[in-house]
Order: sequence, then structure tokens, then C-alpha cells
Amino acid sequence: MNKSATGRTWVRLDNVSNIFLAARTDADPKVFRLAAELTEPVDPERLQRALDATYDHYPLYHAVLRSGVFWYYLQASDLRPVVTAEDHHTCAPLYQTDKRNLLFRVSHHRRRINLEVFHALSDGAGAMRFLTDLVSAYAADSAPAVEPEVEPQRGLSIDSFTHYFRRRRHTPDPAFDAAAESAALGVADTLPAAPRPRWRVGRLIRPRIRVHRVKGTRTPDNRTRAVELSLPAKDMLELARAEGVSPTMYLTGVFFESVRRSAGDLGRARTFVASVPVNLRQFYPSSSARNFFATVLVSHTYGIGADDLGSVCRDLEAQFRPKATPKALEKKLRRLIRVEKSPILRIVPRPVKDVVLGWLNQAHNRHLTVAVSNLGRVTFDEPAESLVERIGFHVSAARPQFCAITHAGTLVVTFTSPFSETDHVAEFARILTGAGIRVRVGAARVTESELAEVIR
Amino acid sequence: MSRCDGCRVEVEGDWSSCPLCGTPLDTDQSAPAAVPEPFPAVPLGYSRRRVFRVLFLTSLAVIVGSFIAQLLFVRDADGIGAARSVWLGLCAMWLVAIMAISKRHNIAKGTVWLVVLIGGVCAYWDYLTGWNGWSLDWAIPIVCGCSIIALLITVRVMRTEVGDHILYSALTVALGLAPVGFLWLGWLSRPIPSVACGIVAVLALAFLQVARGRPVRTELAKRLHL
Repeated sequence: MNKSATGRTWVRLDNVSNIFLAARTDADPKVFRLAAELTEPVDPERLQRALDATYDHYPLYHAVLRSGVFWYYLQASDLRPVVTAEDHHTCAPLYQTDKRNLLFRVSHHRRRINLEVFHALSDGAGAMRFLTDLVSAYAADSAPAVEPEVEPQRGLSIDSFTHYFRRRRHTPDPAFDAAAESAALGVADTLPAAPRPRWRVGRLIRPRIRVHRVKGTRTPDNRTRAVELSLPAKDMLELARAEGVSPTMYLTGVFFESVRRSAGDLGRARTFVASVPVNLRQFYPSSSARNFFATVLVSHTYGIGADDLGSVCRDLEAQFRPKATPKALEKKLRRLIRVEKSPILRIVPRPVKDVVLGWLNQAHNRHLTVAVSNLGRVTFDEPAESLVERIGFHVSAARPQFCAITHAGTLVVTFTSPFSETDHVAEFARILTGAGIRVRVGAARVTESELAEVIR
Repeated sequence: MSRCDGCRVEVEGDWSSCPLCGTPLDTDQSAPAAVPEPFPAVPLGYSRRRVFRVLFLTSLAVIVGSFIAQLLFVRDADGIGAARSVWLGLCAMWLVAIMAISKRHNIAKGTVWLVVLIGGVCAYWDYLTGWNGWSLDWAIPIVCGCSIIALLITVRVMRTEVGDHILYSALTVALGLAPVGFLWLGWLSRPIPSVACGIVAVLALAFLQVARGRPVRTELAKRLHL
């Protein structure tokens, strides 16, 4: 007899993650990849053992996505992940409607272990823990020595949400429940009481700014164009420090400059806007691996002030710093929680929600030039640390984007884009090499002519 | 590793020109690429999904267009003729085929769709031929009754998880009660097929209630969760 599927535990998908379902397209399936490059070729069987051991500690990763009348929900499954040789292009779609498959995949290619995750399941910082444990288990070739992820969550007083939404529900799997819980609601209780939010007209009417948007030729089969730049983190830090800005804002400034150089004449659309996700876990302790970030927008308008790289970076830094303070982020977090609890959103049928969220996302995209994401510095415990040479991180993109991650002194900046063109990456690399930094380029072959070189 | 003079970068892998700017690279032929490419070369795949979507939408447009076009002709048994019968038959078959294909991932969901579509097409066809009532008398009860039996067998044979099919099975059974409604309303001239279908539906309903009552309620609570 089959085990009753209805006895399985399930948690409804939060609205933040719902955006990723509504916003996914053929070119941008909302999948991100974390890759660990080892010092030796990957042994598939050993990796499978490591994956089996790690998987058991991460109930969230057991989830499949299903749709109800009002919500998508994550449901625990009995599926087991299988390690495969990398045979898809990077960030290939993971979630397909009506198919009940896991929302992540682990593949290997030469010395690389790739973890690809559907963004509705987790964010980069959340998935990094899985990769860390996976690589540690691979290095030790036994079960990870770390504590299972769910343990601390039980200890934390999880949220009004649990009581609020699940009074009458039978939950056979509390570990899954805790892991699949919305991260924002998980910290809702820890926030101090706030005054009632007031709608201001200023929030609804935005000044009309012509935002520059990058145009290009779509890749032949909609695959993500990924180009990896590896450089010594120390050198980049020195440059950022010389300008008196944080590394993320320095890289964003360089990105703006390279897009501007590759765009030629900007015309009237001279404002560049970048969206920068900020990990909320650094301010609101949460062991949840679910999506838990807020995005901050920074912009620079060319042609009305100093436009040299240093000035742009300082301009961005001056905008970013106040927006990334706990106080400013608390406001955003509150809004996330409010959206999560909104009674109106709860009675809107899911297909309508998908369409409306899709429109909102498109409208938001029109005001963005690029997106940047910096996962910061990662370290492993021995023996994994000495086994890992580089860590890479990138995400499928609806517009040019870069993701940065640092490990063992090597900064890897991976550019992704739905377009075949790489002019802005070339300019980016030239700015860095022009400053005397040694840059290594690794790229995925995307166009027919690039592939013809190696596939016969 | 080869080097691009334009960008002053080192390039991993066997690129003959710079992946960034396209300038031919300085390749040192004597030294093979020490650093292999970080990504495998995955051959281009044409987007099958897009082809299917276009085919699906075009088919649907043709079928719906064909059905609507029938209203332009005379509406009686003689007027329908051989050519229009074949035309309608092909459209109905194609409609069933594309629905079965597009809902192939969930057999129970597909069954509900098929019962509704086939029932609808039969009733429409009956209407076009001057309304003899054969659709309500024979076609709909037979389709409903058979689909209930077929579904109960299929989910058992395919070992479909209860949660995956229960809602649609319940819906199919509910549809099976529709012919009883026709009988109640006095629309039927031959009640036997409808009565048989009703008995099958009631038996299936009793089975679901007794054997699967709890899963049905949990699944409903989950799907309709606010």
C-alpha cells in the first residue's frame, strides 16, 4: 500500500517566494547555482554518499511544490536526489507545473560540484549552508558532523505563524514544518511593536525618471549567459578602500561604469538603477533556510555631476549605507510580514495572484538596469577547506546581473544575462585589469559558433 | 591558459577567441590548457516547450473555430451530412488528444477534463443534429460511468498516491451523479444508462467515504486553505 500522501506535512508558500513563481519565464527560470571547485576531480559515488547524508539533515530540501486554490504549498516527499553529470546548461528550469520533482539538483563537472536551487525554496545564503555541509560530507566521506539544521529551530520560539495558521492541522513531520516555515514570519515576534503604517501619496507616485535598460540579443535557446571572473579579493578590497567604499558598492560602481561604456550614447535614459539584496539574517537571527532578504535600490544619474568611478561609487555608498541599517531594514521586514498576513491577499485565488504578481514584477523590472548580489566571504571547516579551491555563485537573470562570492582569497564575480552579448563584462574586466588586477575568465558556451568550436 | 590582449585577461579552457570581446587569443600550442573550462559545452536545444505551446494554442483555436462555425449551417439531422460529421469527429478527436497529452502528468485530473469535454462535445453535436436526446440518454451516462470505473482501476494499477488523485476522483464521481439529475429533471427518454451510471457513482462515493474519508477531508482542507 502506498503511504497516504495526505498525511504528509505541508506549509503554504509565503508571498515573497510566490513572486519567483509568478516572475519565472523561459529565459529566467529563477534558479540559482552555487558551485564548489575542488582541488581534485569529483568522484560521483562519493558525492552521492555525501548528498544522501546531507539530504537527511535538511527537511526543507525534501519539499515538492504543489498548487492549491489560494496558495502554492510545499509538501514533504519521499523522493531521493540523484547526483548527475552536468548535462544541462547552467540554471536550467527546475520547477515544472504538475510535475512533482525536487526543487534542487546536484551535478558535477570535472572538479566542480554544482548545487542548483529553485529560488522559491531558498535564497543564496540559505543554500550556502547546504553546500557547505555537502562539501564537508564529501571531504569527510561520512555524515556531516554539524548539528542538523532543524535542531535550533525547535528551540527558537517559532512564531505566531505556527499557532496562527495551523491550529487544527495534523503535522506528522515537525522538522519539515519548522524548516519550510516563512523566515519573515519566523522573526515577527522578535520585532518591537510599531505604529500603524500610513499610506503616503509619495509612495504611490514616483517621479518620472528615465532608467537605462540594457538591450541585447537573446541567447539561441534562452539559456543563461554566464561569465565568471576570478580575481584576488585582496586587490579589489584595496581599490574599494582607496575610494572609501564597501566592496559591494565598489563592484556596483564598476558595473555601472562598464554598462555605460558598452552602451555608447545613453540618450535621455541616463539613470542607472541596481537592485541589491540584503541578507536579513545578519540583523534578525534566524536559522531558516527559506528566502529571507530585502532588496535595496541604489541609483546614479550620469551627466549631472561627477561621473568618474570613484564619485559614482561614493554616491552609491552614500545611498546604500543608510538603507542597509537595521532600522531601515526593519521597515522593509515589517512590510514583508504585513504582506504575509494581509487578509486581502489571502482570499485572492492563486492564478489571479500569479498574474498580478507577474505584472508587478514586470513593472518593477522596468525601473532596473542591473542587479547585484554579494554573498560575501565563505569558509569551510577542515578537511573541506583545503579541498575547495574556488566557490562560484550565480543566478538566472532577466537583466544583466552579477553575483559575487569570496573564498580563500579568491573573489569570483559571475555575470549572468539573458543576452548573448558580453560587452559589459569585457569593460568590467578591462577596468579591473587596468587597475593592475589579474583576472581569469571562465565562460559557458552559449552561441552556435562558440559551441561549434568544441562540439563536432 | 590563453590570454586576451584586448581585455588583458587569462581565459580558462580552449577558446580560440576571447569570450568577452571576440579577439583571437594568443594560444600557446605547446602547452595544453592547464585550466579546463568551468562549464561543459551543452549542445543547443531548440525549445520544445515553445513548439508545443504554439501547436497547442493553434490546435485549440482551430477546434473552437470549427465548433463555432457549425452554428452557421442548418441545424438538423439531414443538414449535418457526411462531410460535417467527419469534420466534427476529427475536431473532437484532436481536442481529446491534446487534452490527454497536456494533462498526462496527472491521470485523475486528465479524466475530469475528458469527461467534461466529451460530455460537452456530445451534447453540442446532439444539438447540431436537431436534439434527439442521444447525448443525455446514452453518451454522457456511459462516459461518466466508464470513467469512474476506469479511474478507480487506473489509480490502483498505477499506484497513484491518494493525495494526488483523490480530489479529481471525487470530482469524477460527482460528475457521475449528473445523469441522475437529468433523470430527476425528466430530460431523459431512456433512463437505464443513467440509472446504471448513478449506481456506479453512488457505490464509488460510498467507497471513497468509507475507505478514504479522512484523506479526502485533509486534501480538501489543504487545497482550499485560506
